[in-house]
Amino acid sequence: MNNEFEKYGLSEEELFARVDNRSASSEKITAPRYSYWKSVFRVFFRKKINYFILGLLALVLFMTYVYPLTTAYDPFANISDSTTKHLNPSAAIAKMGFSLHSILGTGAQGQSTFDAIWFGSRISVSLALVCAAINMTLGVAVGCLWGFVKKIDMAMIEVYNIVANIPMVLLVSIMVMIFSASFWSMVFAMCLTEWLFIAYFIRTQVIIIRDREYNLASKCLGTPVSRILTRNVLPFMTSVIVTYLASEIPSYISYEVFLSYIGMGLSEDSLGRIIQKAQSAMITPGWEFEFWAPVAVSAIITVVLYVAGQNLGDAADPRTHM
Amino acid sequence: MTKYVLKRGIHGLLSVAVVVAIVMIMIYGLMNKELIFAEDPTYTKMNNNRKVNYMYSRWESYGYLHYVPYSDYLSALKKDGTIDEDTRSQAVLLGKTSEFDSELTKEYIEKFTKYYTDKGYTVERRDAVMMGGNKLAEGGQPILFAHKPIPLITRLGNYFSKLITIDNIHNAKNIEGKRGITFTWHDPVYGGKKFSPALIGNGTKHKYLLYFDSHFPFLHQNLITIQLGKSYSINKGVDVADTMVEPQGGYVKSTITYPTGMKEKSADDLHTATYVAGSRKTSRLVRARFTDDYSDTKTIKNQRSRIGFSFTNGILASILAYLIGVPVALLMARKKDKLADKIGTFYIVVIIAVPSLAYIFLVRAIGGALGLPTAYNLEKATAAMYVLPIISLAMPSIGGIMRWLRRYIIDQMNMDYVKFARSEGLSEREIYSKHILKNAAIPIIQGIPGTILFALVGALITERCYVVPGTGGMLVDALNHHDNSVIVGVVLFYAILSVVSYILGDVLMATVDPRISFTTKDR
Repeated sequence: MNNEFEKYGLSEEELFARVDNRSASSEKITAPRYSYWKSVFRVFFRKKINYFILGLLALVLFMTYVYPLTTAYDPFANISDSTTKHLNPSAAIAKMGFSLHSILGTGAQGQSTFDAIWFGSRISVSLALVCAAINMTLGVAVGCLWGFVKKIDMAMIEVYNIVANIPMVLLVSIMVMIFSASFWSMVFAMCLTEWLFIAYFIRTQVIIIRDREYNLASKCLGTPVSRILTRNVLPFMTSVIVTYLASEIPSYISYEVFLSYIGMGLSEDSLGRIIQKAQSAMITPGWEFEFWAPVAVSAIITVVLYVAGQNLGDAADPRTHM
Repeated sequence: MTKYVLKRGIHGLLSVAVVVAIVMIMIYGLMNKELIFAEDPTYTKMNNNRKVNYMYSRWESYGYLHYVPYSDYLSALKKDGTIDEDTRSQAVLLGKTSEFDSELTKEYIEKFTKYYTDKGYTVERRDAVMMGGNKLAEGGQPILFAHKPIPLITRLGNYFSKLITIDNIHNAKNIEGKRGITFTWHDPVYGGKKFSPALIGNGTKHKYLLYFDSHFPFLHQNLITIQLGKSYSINKGVDVADTMVEPQGGYVKSTITYPTGMKEKSADDLHTATYVAGSRKTSRLVRARFTDDYSDTKTIKNQRSRIGFSFTNGILASILAYLIGVPVALLMARKKDKLADKIGTFYIVVIIAVPSLAYIFLVRAIGGALGLPTAYNLEKATAAMYVLPIISLAMPSIGGIMRWLRRYIIDQMNMDYVKFARSEGLSEREIYSKHILKNAAIPIIQGIPGTILFALVGALITERCYVVPGTGGMLVDALNHHDNSVIVGVVLFYAILSVVSYILGDVLMATVDPRISFTTKDR
């Protein structure tokens, strides 16, 4: 025996030490290290298509927020030059040379369609993001309470039944008529009741989770409601919330386009207003591109935002992390 | 169950009333009253006191407030016989300011002020506006008037009390003959020989209260009238409910025998005759045709009403959506994560994310290129003009059905009963169509009444895009023209539809699925 140890050049004492039976370590449960957000990104990037979608999202956000800062755009710069108006892309490239400004042709005032679209999308996307942020925060907070506190449930259901019956078009247009059609009054109009629908959706989700055993146990142990909500319930709903958010953001953009179309939209040149203004161009032969370009870009923006959000929602679900 | 539905119904009606109240507060209270003059050419032409007068009289017709000018008060007194014409013409003359009033005018102004202040009005006097010297400025005549805002409760009460009116035999004034309702087996409109029961009133507003004709639904009534709100600016003097159900298009002329026996080619629908007091006295045309003063008729037209167009489009689109959506959702669930599922998911993503305006225009452009009509034409109606609107309407519904039904089917696929059915040796087709679909379709079934009823409301973008003469744009039109009573009427219509469709949806769900019950007793 001794010979075997000798070849390591160590004595027996050095190689073997007695370990006591420690009661504390028997309580320890070992599991692989788990970090929530790390896992989210691991799952998100497991699908190779998500790199592509994220790239597109970055491009869209870059064009929406950074491109307008670097470009001087004046919609009325060419207004007196009638040869620059209503050009399709090839004619515009021929006239003004190949550049980003000319690749989508020009509009009714001789303005670059490409620039107009991105300046407009900055307004539309900002509107969608601001509305989504306000509505989601309010909606989730109220929804959690609504689902958890049984006393307010009946009252809130009544309020919901009434508000759900007021047509959104009516509400938004009256708000716009009262406060003028500016960006912030539009935000106000779109946030006035929308959070209630989100809250209702969250309430249903909370009620489903509320009475699960682990929450009952937590309650029995004396955990305060606020802690149960933030530690037990909310993390469980992350994926639902992110998925909801993913369909919410495009819906605000759609809604803005819709409101502009019926003549109740923003007074600034948002995406919706550009599309609405280009409507007459659509039925004029040769000018159709003026209409389709903003429509296509708004479709791309909303699809990218939606798909990125959906996939992030899938990845945010802890059940997919295994 | 009946008790439950009744309870829900009453509850729903209450919330509808609250919705109407909120909308009234919004449009009469929050919205700036002066917006109605934004596009009014008469308003811009007027000056000074006449403008004030005009503003108040317009506000009264739009339903904002009560307004009584001093001269109207005097005319009313004269009509009562309290004062004679001489006094009226003297008292109506106002001085430049109150100091210049004559004794008589002062006396009546005092009476006017007292009478209306007691009734809660505010009495206002605007002195004459002079151009310098003794010359009146344009529209600068002195004016005196009383006005009072209409409180919400009164407004609501008035609105709901007028909502449903039942015709009675004391409606018409100065009627000839005995008031009463007679029943006949032989409708006089058809010459009095053909067998066709009808209920005819004398003294009522409508002559024919109940009658049969050859149009769907064959039995018609004029006994109960629904008044959602009279239009002031879009379709002046016509009620919203009538605007929705009135036929449109060209006249359908046929040989009509009038009560006097006169025969003529005309589009008049004698069944719709309403009472116009003294119409035979004043018009020879009426005398030649009618034997009584029930002489105001509507005309027969060859096209559907607004609601008819919207409903036809909506229903056909919903049928198309279910016919396509349900099998596709089944296919997607069965081939989960395969190509069919991926294509379907792509479609759903596009429908959810892309603004509806974009794909409706795309459908119109493609359809137009294929030679389909892209606009409705009431003169030359063809079946082809329905094609594109129906496709545009069905596209989002198909997406919705696919999205949710696929989800529900996939949720059902792992249930124990499916495993059991499979172990019993049922074929996959049988499992899906007989077991899974039945369970997965229950939440979808709940939405069917809503789909049907909301087809009545019409779709805004689609109808605008294809120039469909439907109900879709009514709310937006009313908003643009500040047609307040129409806004209230349309909102009430929406709210009632949504309440009814929720209740019907739950009832239908409980009928289809015996496990669902809304009464605690049945559980």
